[in-house]
Amino acid sequence: MEKNLTHIALFAALIAVLGLVPKIELLSGVPITAQSMGVMLCGTVLGARRGALAVLLFLVLVAVGLPLLAGGRGGLGVFASPSVGFLIGFPVAAFVAGFIVERWTAPVGIAAFTGAVLGGIVVLYAFGIPGMAFMLDKSLAEATALSTPFFPGDLIKAGLTALVTRAIAQMRPGALLSRG
Amino acid sequence: MAAGKQTGIELIGAGYAVAGKVILSGLDLTLTESRIGIVGRNGSGKTSLLRLIAGLVAPSTGQVRVAGLTPSKDRRGMLAALGILFQNPDHQILFPTVGEELAFGLRQIGQTEAEARYAVRALLASEGRAHWEDAATHTLSQGQRHYLCLLSVLLMQPQTILLDEPFAGLDLPTQARLARRLAALPQRTLTISHDPAAVAGCDRVIWIEAGRVHADGAAAEVLARFTAEMARLGDQDADTHLAG
Amino acid sequence: MLTLTSPVKTWAHRLPAWGKLLVLCAYTVLLFALQTPLAMAVAALLPVTLLASCGGSFAITSLRMLRPLWPFVAVVVLWHLWLGDSAGGAVVILRMLAAVLAANFVTMTTQLSQMIALIEGLARPLAPILPPRALALAIALVIRFIPVMLTRTEAIAQAWRARSPRKPGWRILLPTTLAALDDADRVAEALRARGGAG
Repeated sequence: MEKNLTHIALFAALIAVLGLVPKIELLSGVPITAQSMGVMLCGTVLGARRGALAVLLFLVLVAVGLPLLAGGRGGLGVFASPSVGFLIGFPVAAFVAGFIVERWTAPVGIAAFTGAVLGGIVVLYAFGIPGMAFMLDKSLAEATALSTPFFPGDLIKAGLTALVTRAIAQMRPGALLSRG
Repeated sequence: MAAGKQTGIELIGAGYAVAGKVILSGLDLTLTESRIGIVGRNGSGKTSLLRLIAGLVAPSTGQVRVAGLTPSKDRRGMLAALGILFQNPDHQILFPTVGEELAFGLRQIGQTEAEARYAVRALLASEGRAHWEDAATHTLSQGQRHYLCLLSVLLMQPQTILLDEPFAGLDLPTQARLARRLAALPQRTLTISHDPAAVAGCDRVIWIEAGRVHADGAAAEVLARFTAEMARLGDQDADTHLAG
Repeated sequence: MLTLTSPVKTWAHRLPAWGKLLVLCAYTVLLFALQTPLAMAVAALLPVTLLASCGGSFAITSLRMLRPLWPFVAVVVLWHLWLGDSAGGAVVILRMLAAVLAANFVTMTTQLSQMIALIEGLARPLAPILPPRALALAIALVIRFIPVMLTRTEAIAQAWRARSPRKPGWRILLPTTLAALDDADRVAEALRARGGAG
């Protein structure tokens, strides 16, 4: 089906674009990269399967040598770095976020926020922390400690993901594939 | 290029509705002329008519036939019957390089990569643009992108070409070049426009208003009535009725 | 679309992509089997030698690509200095740098088209659920639309700046995503108009 293909491809492009634009500044002046929001949006907007495929496609293009990760990073080297766990976790995170939005009948904003938190934080870190622990020869507890500074920012990103998803549900209800 | 009934477009009692809202109704048309124009205001349903003929949507009532095929079902067969030039090239160009974009259509009808590349190179060379083959599509100018889309369509050698607002947004020299090119095409062309000037040279013009055929006949006569009505509407204040 | 392949043509550019990838996998496994700083330093000589054999500008670009790792290096250095375990720290850091250098070497010496061909080859067993044509088309679409969407995002940011003294923040996320959805519908239509993806 052409619609599936184009949605997957264009959202993979969206993740790339969100990594290439300058960092978004929050009200407090703290810069955050928008790229991980792109990953969560793939799940909450496209649903579990399509969202995961979009993120996988994005990763294929990074692996193949395109500098699409925030900061112009890419190529096989990023899969050999300590953050490889997070990269592997991205498509799973999108799947979980999408699954929750698809299956849970709560209002879209709440489902999207929960999906973004459970997928984009809990599941993502479940992959990222062991990955980092392995690559840096640290224990899981130590790797978790290294990651804690990023939690508040990620929580905010989950909130923004929910806001955007809910706005799309209101403005273009037919376009929200996760709630078909 | 035959312009007879076998390659013609037929609409038999065709209508199209979306979510309960009727967009087109009561269309009974047999289109076989060489140069056909469809005019109407924005929102009159003419773009939906294009989608119907192209098979991008199926009719809600009645039938649509193009060269004897059902457009919405036989997508591959339609490639030889119909080509479409959409209004915005950025919505039409699918590939990062010119060569890939042109080769795609030929791959779709079963040619191998090598055959397609050969045909693409031959076409570009005959257009004096052999150096375009590896050019990145997003670096082309707007006029060049329109041109690329037209080449993609022509390469497929369809019997009929549908043109959706072909001159919209183009500067005058580009309009003139495109018009000249289109006038010289051997295949049938069906031009959709809100601008009478775009279809003034057609053999037959159909005026669509509120989803129905309002007038149908020789260009000069239909366009005179159309222009008069548009002027009359323009003299009135804008439509304040909300569709919701 | 600019890729990370080095424009400097080296001897490694001529090697087949699958071969380089195989050696890279074997090398990475080896790296994780080694335990001592000395063994790791010897193993790290491989990517360093490869780099050096490709000339100055190539080597400098490779080293520059290590820059995103410095926070990890800093953390490991501080951590292991504090614990008094410099040997363990050296192993981790050398291993990390060697693995990344080796992986980047493959990326820098392989053309995008070769890597894509490799991916499509690897995906062939999945043909029943993933038609190879669909994968090729999807890859082309992403590469085609990244510059288009970037331009549009910049236009959205400009529209914002024209109406607000603040810098565009998260609020451009919505129009950007909506634009991606609209584009997806239109491109699907254009694809259907050209015979579909099947």
